[in-house]
Amino acid sequence: MSKSIRALHIRHVDAGSCNGCEQELTALTSGYYDIQRHGIDLVASPRHADALLVTGPVTDTMALAVKKVWEAIPSPKLRIAFGDCALGCGVFQNGYASEGGVKEADLEIPGCPPEPEMALPILRDWMRTHRSGQKAYSEIAPDSQSAV
Amino acid sequence: MSTSWQMRNTEQKGLNHELLALTANRHGNLLASWLNPLDGRQLFLELEVSNGSFPSLASVMPEVAWDEREINDLFGWIPTGHPDLRPLVRTERWPQGFFPLRSLSEPPNWRDVEPDLPSLKVEGEGVTIMKVGPTHAGVIESGHFVFSLMGENVLYLDAHLFQNHRGIEALLETKSVNEVAPLVARVCAADTVSNQTNWALAVEQLAGFAQPPGLVRKRIILLEAERILSHLNDLAQIPAGVGFQVAHQRALAMKESWQRSLKSLYGHRFLFDTVLPGWARSAPSEAVLDAVGKLRSLWVPWRQLVRGHHGFRNRIKGVGVTPLERVVRLGAQGVAARAAGKPFDARQSLPWYRETFQGAVTQGSGDVGARFRVRLEEVEAAMQLIEEAAVRLRETDCQEEEFSLPRELSGRAVTFTESPHGMNVHDVTVAEGRISRYHIRSGTYRNWPLLAQAVAGNAVADFPLINKSFELCYSCNDR
Ligand code: SF4
Repeated sequence: MSKSIRALHIRHVDAGSCNGCEQELTALTSGYYDIQRHGIDLVASPRHADALLVTGPVTDTMALAVKKVWEAIPSPKLRIAFGDCALGCGVFQNGYASEGGVKEADLEIPGCPPEPEMALPILRDWMRTHRSGQKAYSEIAPDSQSAV
Repeated sequence: MSTSWQMRNTEQKGLNHELLALTANRHGNLLASWLNPLDGRQLFLELEVSNGSFPSLASVMPEVAWDEREINDLFGWIPTGHPDLRPLVRTERWPQGFFPLRSLSEPPNWRDVEPDLPSLKVEGEGVTIMKVGPTHAGVIESGHFVFSLMGENVLYLDAHLFQNHRGIEALLETKSVNEVAPLVARVCAADTVSNQTNWALAVEQLAGFAQPPGLVRKRIILLEAERILSHLNDLAQIPAGVGFQVAHQRALAMKESWQRSLKSLYGHRFLFDTVLPGWARSAPSEAVLDAVGKLRSLWVPWRQLVRGHHGFRNRIKGVGVTPLERVVRLGAQGVAARAAGKPFDARQSLPWYRETFQGAVTQGSGDVGARFRVRLEEVEAAMQLIEEAAVRLRETDCQEEEFSLPRELSGRAVTFTESPHGMNVHDVTVAEGRISRYHIRSGTYRNWPLLAQAVAGNAVADFPLINKSFELCYSCNDR
């Protein structure tokens, strides 16, 4: 059986964003930017996903939900931090109910919010390096088992 | 004391004045502020908390039910006589005795339990409970909804929000006045200019600075540009709720085109960091007029498309109805209130808007269709307002008085603007150049309880549609 895969299915969770990151993520799927063209799509269930994408600084109330979604995604899988808040360098960093971003992100997409024109090349390059279809499944995603 | 607190506030409500905000400060005072919409005058009421409690207004003024629960959660002062004192912002994880707005302390040791809160449900034979969230299948903000259903029909919706609570007000209260702006700009991506302007107005009021005409016009352009952006987003979502994909996709394309214009005019696709005390970013009038012209060329055919579609018009009629009486009782704001016939738009109470603002756009039916039509009209009015302001800006003397921030700024100011989601209010207290209290009451906050009631009696499959017709934010609600 061939182990090569060419797609990246992402499950998004908002963990305290201002909604700017969500809007730009949605724009990425629109006809203008069309991330599906590069084999990337946003999916409705963690069971269908290869990646968890977090926006926002991870609030205390959402932290457990983020963890549960992460655990529900089959391995191998990766974490994507989308936007400065999730990267741990946003303005809400020091709010008392903010965890200060995603720990151990495998892929970071900076910006406040990341403009689709900036985010698209980052995702595309990642796909080129990791999902060219040549590599074995085990090589292409870090085996990130630890909790978020 | 208690009756007089109730009397003084209900008297204001009886005069058809608008509640700007009800909050508290850490010195043990409740602060209510009211607006006379006709002349823009404000009235401030105060009450000292005694023995850790204060008389609740919620039973006579249901619109403050959430505000009082929030005071209970964040200050620990109990509104006695409140009909529903379940936690609103707090969760099971908050340590007892942690009241972040009462005393600024280190981040607490959260309790190691699930954050879930008790919900209100209908009990009885044949009732199904359906829980949605806090994470969702689509790319949206986090919120948790508990539906009580009988068959397909919604009997009751209990909306649990505040999953996105970061502690922004407490965070602001650690800042000096020149550190506030970037944070305020990011409280809500959809209402950023409104929030930035409120902060600027507060500082300018405390500093006794009168805004010169050029500055006012630049701000009107930015505020209306934001209204267009947000309304385009919402106008795109409503057709999506009924599967009208052409209208959905074409409206999203308009939104993208508008965002590209904003980026080239102002350097940011959401207009973050465009307003500061004494300042607003400006773009050449010709370029602004060109951008509006370009938008119009997309808008006119799109408007014809949605207007001419009988199936769509029928589908959004009579769904998610909010009677005017309920709108007034719950103090609802913005598009949702105007769609039910409440003729209030905060722009009419701002002297600096009066020069050009044509008056509130209202409808009467209070359904999804009415909320859709109010936004249609408001987008067109906003395009006109931008054009007028851009033309006048060309005639304005560009050598305007510069603003310098006084070092030891002190005092309290309550400022407001009409954000795309309704009247947005900041209640700001500054002491010697540092923030000592910063309360943000967004337009959305007053509309969540109305949305929950608007859903009851409808088919659950219409929840997405009704929800999208309100399109309420979570971020500025949760803070
Ligand atoms: S990174 Fe910026 S745009 Fe994204 S959630 Fe944070 S503040 Fe909002």
